[in-house]
Order: sequence, then C-alpha cells, then structure tokens
Amino acid sequence: MSRQEILEQVLNMVAMSYKKDVSELSESTSFKTDLNGASVQMVALVSEIENELDVALMLADASGCETIADLIDLIEEEL
Amino acid sequence: MSVIDKIFEKAKLNPQRVAFPEALNEKMMQAAYEAGSEGYIIPILVGDKAEIKAAIKERGYEESVFRIVDVNDEEYKTLLVEKYTALPDTRLKEKALRRRMEDKLQFAMVMQASDEADVTFAGIDYTTGDVLLAGQMIIGMKPGIATISSIGLCDIPGYEGSEGSLLAIGDSAVCTNPNSEQLASIAISACDTVKSLLDWEPRCACVCYSTLGSGQGELVDKVTEAVKIANELRPDLAIDGEFQLDAAINPAVAKKKVGRESKVAGQANVVIWPDLNVGNVAVKLIQQFGHADAYGPMLQGFKKVVCDCSRSAPVSELKGNIVISAVRAAGEKR
Repeated sequence: MSRQEILEQVLNMVAMSYKKDVSELSESTSFKTDLNGASVQMVALVSEIENELDVALMLADASGCETIADLIDLIEEEL
Repeated sequence: MSVIDKIFEKAKLNPQRVAFPEALNEKMMQAAYEAGSEGYIIPILVGDKAEIKAAIKERGYEESVFRIVDVNDEEYKTLLVEKYTALPDTRLKEKALRRRMEDKLQFAMVMQASDEADVTFAGIDYTTGDVLLAGQMIIGMKPGIATISSIGLCDIPGYEGSEGSLLAIGDSAVCTNPNSEQLASIAISACDTVKSLLDWEPRCACVCYSTLGSGQGELVDKVTEAVKIANELRPDLAIDGEFQLDAAINPAVAKKKVGRESKVAGQANVVIWPDLNVGNVAVKLIQQFGHADAYGPMLQGFKKVVCDCSRSAPVSELKGNIVISAVRAAGEKR
C-alpha cells in the first residue's frame, strides 16, 4: 500500500474517531494541539487502524505520535 | 477488626472469578492459591494448560482449587471472540482481536469483558503501563470518565475522622497533571470506588491551598472548576471544594473557614489531590509521619475492575490486592 493510500484511509479514521471533518485534517495535524484528544479517542483510532489496515499497533507508540505524519510512519514500519 | 479483615470477610460471602494471566509466576500462583483455597475468590489461571498443570504439580498445590483456561483452546477462543465482538461499543473486529489475544493479559481481559471472569489481576511480570493500556484497549473506560486514575485507602493510627481511622485519597499514583475535567473524573471515580468497596456514603473533598476563595490563582481555579464539572455530571454525589485539607477533614476548622452549608466540609471521607506531586508527597507524609497503612493503588475509571500490582509485592500484599479487587467487582454488580 502506498503512503498516499495509507494517508487517505488514516485521515478518514482520524476524522471518525475525533469527530472532525476530514477536510480539516492533514499530515501535519497535531494530536495534542489541533485535536485536543483524550486517550479514549486514541483507543478508538488504534482499534480502527488494526481492523482496517490489518496491522498491530502498540497503544503506547500511537499515543507517542505528535502528528498524523508520525502515525503514518509508525504504520509503515509495522506493515 | 481491621478494615482489611472486614474486606476479606466480605469477599468470602460472594467469591468472584479472578483471571490470572501471569499464572506461572511463582508468587502470583501462590497468592491465587491462598486466596482461592481460603474461599475469597475463584482463581482462573490463564495460559498454556500443560505448563500450568506441570507448575501446579511441581509446587505441590491442589489442582482442584483452580480453574484453568487454555489460551490454545481454539474452540474457547472462538467463543470469546464471538461474545466480545457482540458487545456494544467494542471496536476491535475478529482479526485484530485475535491478534491481541495472543497476549495473555489481553486474553484475560477479553474473558472479563465477555463476563467469563469478574476481575483481571496482573502486574508482576507486566508493567503498570501494559496493564493500563490493555485495560483501555480491551475493557474500555467508563462513559463520561476522562481519565484513568487511582485511589488508596489509608488506615491512620490515632486519626479520628468521619470513618474512624480510615481515609480514602486519590490520585497518588496514576494521573500526573489532571486538568479540571480529569480532576472531576478522579473525584467521581473515587466516590464510586469507595461505595463499591466499603459501602460508604462518599463525602468527597477536592483540596488545594485555598478554602472557598481564601487563596487565588490558576492552581485554585483548576480545582474550583473541577468541583463544578463533577457536580454537573453527577449531582447524586457529594463532591465539594475547593477546601484546604484541614477544612476538609476537621469539623472545627470547617466551621471556621467554610461559611456555607456543605455535606462534605469537616467530614470528608474521600480527599482528592490537585495533582500527582501533591498526591505522592501526601501519601508519603501519611505513611512516614502518620505511620499509616496505605492500601492500593486501586485503579479506577475502567468499565470493569482492572487491577495492577507492584512488581516487588510480597505474596501477602498480592493476596490483599486480589481480594480488594474482587470485593470491588462484586460491589459494582449491585
């Protein structure tokens, strides 16, 4: 799967988990400052990624991601 | 009778099923065996059946005390997957769930979520972080709760508070620097925890360096705001503040400093610290100068009771924490 394909899917999943419009999101979106998310939302996102992209992620690693780009890097490593 | 003896007695009346994903650990197996053979819990050992059976035999335990769940039993695994994925608000689908269930801790938590066990007890080989993260992924957080946290139960010689020598305090272990919303969650969870464990009518004080505006600043505002949020979310609970510690637990001081009606001031049985710096220092003060026994930390905020223990815990402490978590689980079912 290309990075672009992963990005598109992840942006949709982030939009769903954090209840945002996908048009507001990009690779540089920060989980902390832009999304202001709680751990519940990260759990939802990790579950969704595991379900749809068939990859195992550590919640701790995902929670350590500053931006969506960092998360994509992590997924690419695991795929 | 000490509080811990009372909790042990209570456990015996309604023994709960406790899953042990670290069954092969020698201390853990001994604690599970003692708690099981003395009738406090029904211990379920989760792992490779042959390995567990061999360890039981080698260590000279009576096998009939335990239930053994084999993580390699595909039929049982399939049953768990079906039960778990059918639950409302579970997010993991079959494939992802099965992958996570390769890990014994998460396997045990899937059992718990699917009502095949009442408690998951771990933390001697797994780290606290492992337990907290697995708990969030598999068990999930209670609706409306913004953070996982913990409380401790202190038995303080010579202290004559509204529950005798006992005082529940939180959070001294988990949530580092809560914002107002998280602080409100800690207070709400703490009330629910003491209700389920001790049958107390909680009177919960959020403390800091100010009593109802006697001091000012953002550190105070955070606590005032937390009280407001907690009262909006759970008007059924007596959560009040901001108070200084003495105004929270001492009726004479409360009378002087708190110039309004309060169900909590002067008679709090639950005290919530503003952050982990205060919480950790406070519990050490209570232990060092007050010579108190402190039980816990008891994790709270999950949909079901998740329990972690110290990696250096002796068997007696493990057993105490196992029984406490079982009584909480029984209390939450009511």
